[in-house]
Amino acid sequence: MAQIAIDGVTKRYGATEVLKRLDLSVAEGEFMVLLGPSGCGKTTLLRMIAGLETPTTGRIMIGGTDVTLTPPAKRDVGMVFQSYALYPHMTVRENIALGLKLRGVTQAEIASRIERVANLVQIAPYLERKPKALSGGQRQRVALARVIAREPSVSLMDEPLSNIDAQLRTVMRAELLRIHRKTGMTTIYVTHDQEEAMGLGDRITVMNFGHVEQIGTPDEIYAHPGNAFVARFIGAPRMNLIRLTHRPGANAIEASGIRAPIPAGLGTLPADLFLGFRGEEARPGTAIEGEAIIEGVVDVVEHLGAQIEVHLRLDDGEEAVFRRPRGEALWREGDRMALAIPAEHLHLFDAGSGTALRAG
Amino acid sequence: MGKQRILSLFHGLFLAFIALIIIFPFYWMIASSLKTENQIFQLPPVWLFKPHFASYAAAIVNDNILRALLNSVIVTVGAVVLGVAVGAPAAYGLARYKFRGSAQIQFWYVTNWMLIPVVVLIPFYLLAADLRMIDNPIMLILIYQTFVVPLVVWLLVDQFKAVPIALEEAALLDGMSKFGIFLRITLPLTIPGITVAAILAGIFAWNDLLYAFILTPGTDARTAPTVMMSYLGGYIIPWGRVMASAVMITGPVVIGGIAIHKYIARGLTLGAVK
Repeated sequence: MAQIAIDGVTKRYGATEVLKRLDLSVAEGEFMVLLGPSGCGKTTLLRMIAGLETPTTGRIMIGGTDVTLTPPAKRDVGMVFQSYALYPHMTVRENIALGLKLRGVTQAEIASRIERVANLVQIAPYLERKPKALSGGQRQRVALARVIAREPSVSLMDEPLSNIDAQLRTVMRAELLRIHRKTGMTTIYVTHDQEEAMGLGDRITVMNFGHVEQIGTPDEIYAHPGNAFVARFIGAPRMNLIRLTHRPGANAIEASGIRAPIPAGLGTLPADLFLGFRGEEARPGTAIEGEAIIEGVVDVVEHLGAQIEVHLRLDDGEEAVFRRPRGEALWREGDRMALAIPAEHLHLFDAGSGTALRAG
Repeated sequence: MGKQRILSLFHGLFLAFIALIIIFPFYWMIASSLKTENQIFQLPPVWLFKPHFASYAAAIVNDNILRALLNSVIVTVGAVVLGVAVGAPAAYGLARYKFRGSAQIQFWYVTNWMLIPVVVLIPFYLLAADLRMIDNPIMLILIYQTFVVPLVVWLLVDQFKAVPIALEEAALLDGMSKFGIFLRITLPLTIPGITVAAILAGIFAWNDLLYAFILTPGTDARTAPTVMMSYLGGYIIPWGRVMASAVMITGPVVIGGIAIHKYIARGLTLGAVK
């Protein structure tokens, strides 16, 4: 049974529609990531689950109960804010204890929970300090501890790692996963960082302009993006999408310098297409039977340390990017070269609607 | 470099000149309060003299200045406590909630502060007379709200706005009531701002002469500034006692001013939160 169900939720601010009839369900204990560019409505959705905003239409269910109009305090949800929102005039211990006291937890139980949580997120030495005396990472842990100590049935996180530096972020990411394993809390996590989403989520909901583009496991979303937006948004470097015109009836997709087989069972293709492939799945060299081939002129070569990134200018002016291990082969700017892509790694999208064209 | 030094020299001289203009009256007041009646008017002025406290004794004994100061304290503290108790929630409401007319209400507070006291003095006097509250400090406390509340509201709206809304939302999720959040989260974080507002309002209340002079004419209820007026009535003005009383009346204001000057200098944008 779904722990959280979002049922046709719309949110309007005046004439602006921030969320458009959105449906989503999150399973008990699941780590669900809401991913999308800024302004896509992901934070609004999170705040509605928290009860800080009210949907214009639709229902929100938590644990089978309709909580659409329930005030935040009665929803049994905890939230880690982007700014952490620690109470500056209270010590770390008081910060964690406040929510417990207000819920009538006994003194002894509060003390034991604080001790347990402080050890879990490693803030035991700072319990008597004020938030001002903590580093960004430590504040983040306190914000997390405040939610975990409450033992809410749902924990919500609004870009909790966006205010700490890149190195600490990867450490905290692993820690969030470890803590999620231990507590098993149903978690909804908002981010605009696709790498973070891929690393953390059991499933990812990709959002754009107030609607859901795709819901799936990180692997599904990476390997089978449902549309051109998801294809572009997920993965670094992003998927190459080459716009081309398909002649109806032709037995392959062809353009100047490009030849790709049509996957079986697709039926008639639209004339306006995106041919997509990920740079890491392309192989320099000539194609064998059943592979696609793309030719172009090396435009820019970037040395990134372990890898080199090559930007290829195709004959019709489009660009394709791929990466190879350092020192594998050295292309120089101006060289003409070909890439071979196995058919199973080709993605086709209707350029008009953006939807992926798949067999079946 | 030479030009720089000359500039900073001028800068220093200018500041010294301004300081002199401001400080000299205070010096004259304090010095005169410690001189004998004859020394006060000696020309050229006596710069070195043995301080004598007869003027203070006279002010306390003859003019009951201590009683007047106590009245002033009662009225000022009362006015500030009531003003903050009323003004802080009002400011919080204006800071946190958008409602029809909120901008107009805020503007109305500011314009109220600019109200010229004489305009409402007679109605207030007639009201106080009808209520038999002439010579009653409670009447002054109530009337002082006409400038205390607007000042408190005006200063605190921005203070409350500066408290991150996420803090209040976190408390909401923690299970706190809206009034609990105001009392236990927002208010403690704005204490420096509230202190500034209270002291400023207190200085205005303490300094009021017009309302107090008209509404508390009796010697038992009169406030300290009113005592100053009483000196001007006779054939001789007792300058020693005037100066001694003036020192005792301005003392608290100067102390209050010094206490908050740091915040005033920062343009009242207190970095208390964060």
